[in-house]
Amino acid sequence: MSTPASRRPELDALHQLLDRQILDNDGLMVGKVDDVELEEREDGRLVVTAFLTGPGALGPRLAGAWGSITVRTWSRLSGRAPEDCTRIGYGAVSSINTAIHLGVSRSSVAVDGFETWVRTRLIAALPGAGKDPS
Amino acid sequence: MKRVFALALGVLTAIGGFVDIGDLVTNALVGSRFGLSLAWVVLVGVVGICVFAEMSGRVVAMSGRPTFDIVRERLGPRVGLLNLFGSMAVTLLTYIAEIGGVALAFELATGVWEYFWVPFVAILVWVVLWRAKFDLIENVFGVLGLALVVFAVALWQLSPDWGQLWHTASTAAKPTSEAWPSYWYYAIALFGAAMTPYEVFFFSSGGVEESWSEKSLPTVRANVFVGFPLGGLLSVSIAAVAAVVLLPVGIQVDTLGQVAMPVAVALGKVGLSIALLGFFAATFGAACETGLSLGYSIGQYFGWQWGKFVRPKEAARFHLVLLLSTILAAAVLLTTVDPILVTEFSVVFSAIALPLTYLPILMVANDRQFMRTHANGRVANTLGSIYLVIILVASLAALPLMVWTKMGTT
Repeated sequence: MSTPASRRPELDALHQLLDRQILDNDGLMVGKVDDVELEEREDGRLVVTAFLTGPGALGPRLAGAWGSITVRTWSRLSGRAPEDCTRIGYGAVSSINTAIHLGVSRSSVAVDGFETWVRTRLIAALPGAGKDPS
Repeated sequence: MKRVFALALGVLTAIGGFVDIGDLVTNALVGSRFGLSLAWVVLVGVVGICVFAEMSGRVVAMSGRPTFDIVRERLGPRVGLLNLFGSMAVTLLTYIAEIGGVALAFELATGVWEYFWVPFVAILVWVVLWRAKFDLIENVFGVLGLALVVFAVALWQLSPDWGQLWHTASTAAKPTSEAWPSYWYYAIALFGAAMTPYEVFFFSSGGVEESWSEKSLPTVRANVFVGFPLGGLLSVSIAAVAAVVLLPVGIQVDTLGQVAMPVAVALGKVGLSIALLGFFAATFGAACETGLSLGYSIGQYFGWQWGKFVRPKEAARFHLVLLLSTILAAAVLLTTVDPILVTEFSVVFSAIALPLTYLPILMVANDRQFMRTHANGRVANTLGSIYLVIILVASLAALPLMVWTKMGTT
């Protein structure tokens, strides 16, 4: 399901999207809007086509040495090219208010490299890791 | 009836939860050196934490976004990251001080060397953070922390010259033996202890843990506006008993035992046992709150899943942060650093870090898109702005005064 181009946010709405929390369809936290992917339309307008998330997208916005170290470390550890950062297509978005709500589940956007690594290597092995808090 | 109970419980935990190792040590120390001449700072600090805790509670109830979410969104990734480093450093320092405080309370109760208790306390804190439900952590230690009311009872039992106590408190009459720079240094330390940034991280993230909504606002306000001032009153009674018992004989507090000494003088062994229970509950509860706050702030900056409302394995990075910070805190304490010294550093560095937390909250509480009909009114904005000035002055003056007075020793 993709949102019609006319309803997609324009560039002036950008400051409202950057650094906002992304939640999945169960309300679980997915990541931040670390950057956005823009596309120029025929009429010259820029529209948001995807949200970029994770250290690969955050690094360039930190600029300076911190930025390049972040991107290089992430790229080395995840085994992905520096510019191949995690992308969530705008079609996955169901609504935007104080957070960005996705219509799909966290696992389907595959943003959780480090989370999965920590879970499988350490946290899941501890007693009670799967215990429902309620 | 259930609502009344929930309201009462919230207020009680806010009272008990207000006092932590920083408040215990700083208030007793200040009482033993300056009498009640700095009690006005506790009043200023309590009004300040009320203003900003209510604001952050309102923001989270209306938008679902806790404090560090707001910091990142308002200040951007670069300044937000610097803010994260600063805030986490101060909160980690406080975490170390709280765990050390629990170990000191165990030492006082058992006579066994404090550093022997450190690994044991660290494991206990981690197990609670790993397994216990959020509201259980908040309620059990908050209510047990009420044992500190024993300080107020002790003050009454000591039947001090109330007129003179009130005179020093109301005229801020500094003892002539003390110098002004030290007076102002401890004013900032007390202010930092009352307004510690982690309180707001924890309070607002707790709003997400307990899924507050617009309907929760009356409860949130009751907790803040009734609970915190009563907690402040506990802080003042800790200073007052020190002023009555320790100041005249020239004992300057530098151990946790000396904090409890006036209670032992007034109420004997029973009073002392209750005070020790209060120390344990206050420091253990605050250790849990500071530990969680470390995970909350980093999780909220990077957008990770955080919180006790999901299974631990669904918030793996959050729990990794809790685990690593607990190990680090225990390791630092096992260098046999004095927890009281760590506490003194933590309250002053809290004062330095205050603007990092409170400026973004004030900004977003005025954003009508976030807050809809509950944006800041004139009162909240006036108070918020006045406090921002006080916070900035305290933050800038803290380090120079610390160096000038050699941490208040001159």
